[in-house]
Amino acid sequence: MALLEVESLVKRYGTETLALDQVSFTMEAGEFAAIIGRSGAGKSTLLRCINRLIDISSGELRFDGVSVPGLRGTALRRHRTQIGMIFQHYNLVNRLSVIENVLHGRLGYKGLVQGVLGIYSEEEKREAVRIIESLGLGEQIYKRCDQLSGGQKQRVGIARALIQQPKLLLCDEPIASLDPNAAKIIMDTLREINREMGITVLVNLHQVDVALRYAERIIGVKGGTIVYDGAPDRLSSEQIHQIYGSEAGDLILDLSEQQYAV
Amino acid sequence: MTTNTRPVAQRIRVRPRNKANLIIQATLIGLLLLTLYHLATFDSRGISPIEGIAKTLESFRTLFFEPRLKNVSLGEMLYALSITVAMGLLTTIFGAVIAFFLALGAARNLAPRWLNNLITGGTAFIRAVPTVLWVLFFAVAAGLGSVAAVVGMTFHSVGYLIKAYAESFEELDAGVLEALRASGASWWQTIFQAVVPTSASALLSWTFVRFEINFSTAIAMGAVAGAGGIGFDMFMASTFYLDLRELGAFTYAVLIFAIALEWFATRLKGGLGARV
Repeated sequence: MALLEVESLVKRYGTETLALDQVSFTMEAGEFAAIIGRSGAGKSTLLRCINRLIDISSGELRFDGVSVPGLRGTALRRHRTQIGMIFQHYNLVNRLSVIENVLHGRLGYKGLVQGVLGIYSEEEKREAVRIIESLGLGEQIYKRCDQLSGGQKQRVGIARALIQQPKLLLCDEPIASLDPNAAKIIMDTLREINREMGITVLVNLHQVDVALRYAERIIGVKGGTIVYDGAPDRLSSEQIHQIYGSEAGDLILDLSEQQYAV
Repeated sequence: MTTNTRPVAQRIRVRPRNKANLIIQATLIGLLLLTLYHLATFDSRGISPIEGIAKTLESFRTLFFEPRLKNVSLGEMLYALSITVAMGLLTTIFGAVIAFFLALGAARNLAPRWLNNLITGGTAFIRAVPTVLWVLFFAVAAGLGSVAAVVGMTFHSVGYLIKAYAESFEELDAGVLEALRASGASWWQTIFQAVVPTSASALLSWTFVRFEINFSTAIAMGAVAGAGGIGFDMFMASTFYLDLRELGAFTYAVLIFAIALEWFATRLKGGLGARV
């Protein structure tokens, strides 16, 4: 059974704007897929429909056999604990320490009082320390997050997602604010998480060359619909231009795309 | 030179002659005329301005350089001061606790729009009515005294702090809230794990500002609403005993406390900022 099944998903903002139009795809457990497309194509909306940060207008979305569109309250929270998410702007609580931010990933499993007071078990704290150290942040464990570099912040974001013990990791433009060096570390980390821990990864990317290099599967989105879904090596230059709606030669990526696509 | 069509005689205006500037100028001229009229018709009861100013300075000198206690002992004065401080503290704590929860509903990023409008509308009304009027309003039910003063001052504190707190909450990055929701955290967990840690320093700072306001209001209420404390003693010293020297002693007591409070607030905020 597929981990994620999306069928004729529609998301409408207000009465006119159609953000997602009849989107259908499935993901098997263990896949590493990248969604590419220009800004406003519906990539972020698609990710947020999966963990229901955004309500779905119509269509069906099943995660691990559970129908997602109708989930409410506790059931919705339980659904979200199984899906980790990392963001372009990291979205950490800057005034708190690295370990406090990582432990936030456990809140979904907590009752009201424990969560409000921030009471975590020794086991959870040990696991947090283990994950932080495995991501190379052992020395920053008690540092406030506003003292970290961008790449370090994103690794804290990844640690916060991993401590949820997720089945699926959603990444919304994870490297868009990072320098090339930090971006490579983050993408390598994501690949490692996918291969060694078996966690399914779905990542939104602006950088086509990065998507082609790391992903096993490319989903091209244009105007709220999927226009390409398949292996990266079958994606032709023309198809990339179709996804981005540009004339051949207008994209900065042309050169690097040649290097990796061939 | 030939392209310059502007007549040499016409001066260049730096400030445009528009409606806003005209209104400002008219207002300033109007105020100036009112002041002149007032000075000309001032009832000085035969005392010359020079003499008046000299007498005022003399009073200030007595107030600040010859303070001493006569009708109340030092212990009594400190007790009265502590009553006033307690009044300020109590109204601030009541106000802060109530305002914290209502401000969560007033912050646009935390609660639905209808609740925002309901609470901000209500608090705007509460703030529009001065504290003294709230105290007098509650005096109808509780009688003139400390109870009416505490309830009335709490009321106004709540109105003030809701606005201040809600604006602090709204500065929180929406992405942080989204990230915690995405991990399955509930609303209350998000509040105490992300909103409160982020805005703690701002909340503390607003609460201290309000404590200062409540302290000085409590002095006034001691005299006006018969709520007791150092305000009542100051009222007696000035209007009943006409004793500037004793009033000076009270003024110093209030001043020293206010400075100590300021120092303490700064220390506390510094400690919070450097946390972790």
